[in-house]
Amino acid sequence: MAAAALPASAADPEAGRRKSGPCAGCHGPDGNATTPGMPSLAGQPTMYTHWQLIKFRDGRRKDPQMTPFAEKLGDEDMADLAAFYAAQPARARTAGVDRTKIDDGKRIAEFYHCTSCHRAQLTGHEQIPRLAGQDLGYLVKLIRGFKDKTASDLDGTMTMAAQPLRDEDILALAHYIASLSP
Amino acid sequence: MPFRFAAHVLVVALVLAAWAVQVVAQQPAAAPPPWKQGQPAEMANSPLAPVAQPPAPKPASEIPLNKIKVPAGFKVELWASGINNARVMIWGDKGTLFVSSRVAGNVYAIVDKGGQRELKTIAKGLNLPNGIAFKGGTLYIAEVHRITKMEGIEDKLDSPPEMKVVYDTLPKDLPHGWKYLAFGPDGKLYFNIGAPCNICLPPDTHANISRVNPDGTGFEYWAHGVRNSVGFDWHPVSKELYFATHARDWLGEEVPSDRLDVAPKKGLHFGFPFCHQGDILDPEFGKGRSCAEFAAPLLKTGPHIAGNGVMFYTGSMFPAEYKNRIFLGQRGSWNKTQKIGYRLATVTLRPGDVPKYESFAEGWLDNNQPWGRPNYTVQMKDGSILLSDDYAGAIYRISYSR
Repeated sequence: MAAAALPASAADPEAGRRKSGPCAGCHGPDGNATTPGMPSLAGQPTMYTHWQLIKFRDGRRKDPQMTPFAEKLGDEDMADLAAFYAAQPARARTAGVDRTKIDDGKRIAEFYHCTSCHRAQLTGHEQIPRLAGQDLGYLVKLIRGFKDKTASDLDGTMTMAAQPLRDEDILALAHYIASLSP
Repeated sequence: MPFRFAAHVLVVALVLAAWAVQVVAQQPAAAPPPWKQGQPAEMANSPLAPVAQPPAPKPASEIPLNKIKVPAGFKVELWASGINNARVMIWGDKGTLFVSSRVAGNVYAIVDKGGQRELKTIAKGLNLPNGIAFKGGTLYIAEVHRITKMEGIEDKLDSPPEMKVVYDTLPKDLPHGWKYLAFGPDGKLYFNIGAPCNICLPPDTHANISRVNPDGTGFEYWAHGVRNSVGFDWHPVSKELYFATHARDWLGEEVPSDRLDVAPKKGLHFGFPFCHQGDILDPEFGKGRSCAEFAAPLLKTGPHIAGNGVMFYTGSMFPAEYKNRIFLGQRGSWNKTQKIGYRLATVTLRPGDVPKYESFAEGWLDNNQPWGRPNYTVQMKDGSILLSDDYAGAIYRISYSR
């Protein structure tokens, strides 16, 4: 069999915890980030985190801080890290949330069918991320990236979904999403 | 004065904000994500959704080969594993197997060194690069928006040459934007431009099979009304084009059937979006139309079964009755409660009679849960076949001995 391409064996969350040291500075020791702008990884579906790490390593998702870390990860490391973060309870990230924007954001989320893929409480599943309770600044940056076609997504679904959004829609949406419990 | 001015601005802002909210509230609903488009309102809470692609291939030790059932005399072995999202396979002149992927964005090369197979990633970060073809030392790659080529690639697997654009006057729509790519017997490159939706009246530029010269000149449409065909081949004798098509979703558990078709001449229309499976008018786009206007399917292959690879068998290893039989990889349904497909089927053409349609290899579905999704086949020199599995990231070899 191909020696150059040994795939990951079954993911090990405990191994993931041991390997997560370099991630903790930004994402928190248990994947609950506290720095504004940094995404929380706790409680994200395993498949989602694993796909993102692959995309960072392949250069399809670019970030000056993440790329150098991801380039060093093997397939097994990615599977272990994704399993570890999926198993951590997520905490809310309500810092900066403007509650006056929440109603508009909720309407926009319904109008644009966010729940079709991200599920009713925006908790995500499989390759689709949990949005509920994510960091406000990160959400704004990512949705703007999809709108600008600079944030890579797996099959284009988010890039298409973001096209009709005006910047005030993006802001309202992000305030609403960040206000939800994870 | 400053205060009054600020208050005035505030009033205007409030009025504008109220207006914006009203506009949102009064508009008809925005377009749903492509996979949900065309879903009737009464099915809004359906749990059916596309099967998620795993981020990593299955380790060889976790691939349950013994679950795959083939006819007596045939044998299945794991030929290669660890190939993320393995899709179309094509041989180079010097024995390299090139393998495409879709959402993984990679193109791979597998070099067989005396039974030791080495996997190299020769391109990454591409836009759903499903289509690959090879001719005269050059590998052609079809992404959503362009067809490119790598010249002399087999001598440069460790430092692949630049991807030169062959043709890029293509729509950029992502739904059904990924392509199958193959050289026809006329030396032209054939590929699909799928419908940019589940169900819609597509622009004239979409829902077809097209062809272009390998130097990028002479683009033309070959077949129309083809929702999305990501697998085709030409009959070894008649040289006619046979292709598989995925039919629309959300019309029912048992309809419409996917189809296998033949397009012996340019310009035929195969019905999308007006008529499905040759005999069902679309509830919205079929109004005032008749299925008699369109080419009828050669074979209804089953609802949502997702036929991908189409390959005429021309080898001599398999029993004589397999000669010129079609191998049809069926990646399997998602828009159906009881899943079907997840198998390799065969179609035997019988002039003057309906084709004979049989399951050949199955077992990738376990209690309605897939562990693998068979896709495309390619023949080996000895007449055995390789079968790709994009879900498990594996390639199987199927051989025969009496």
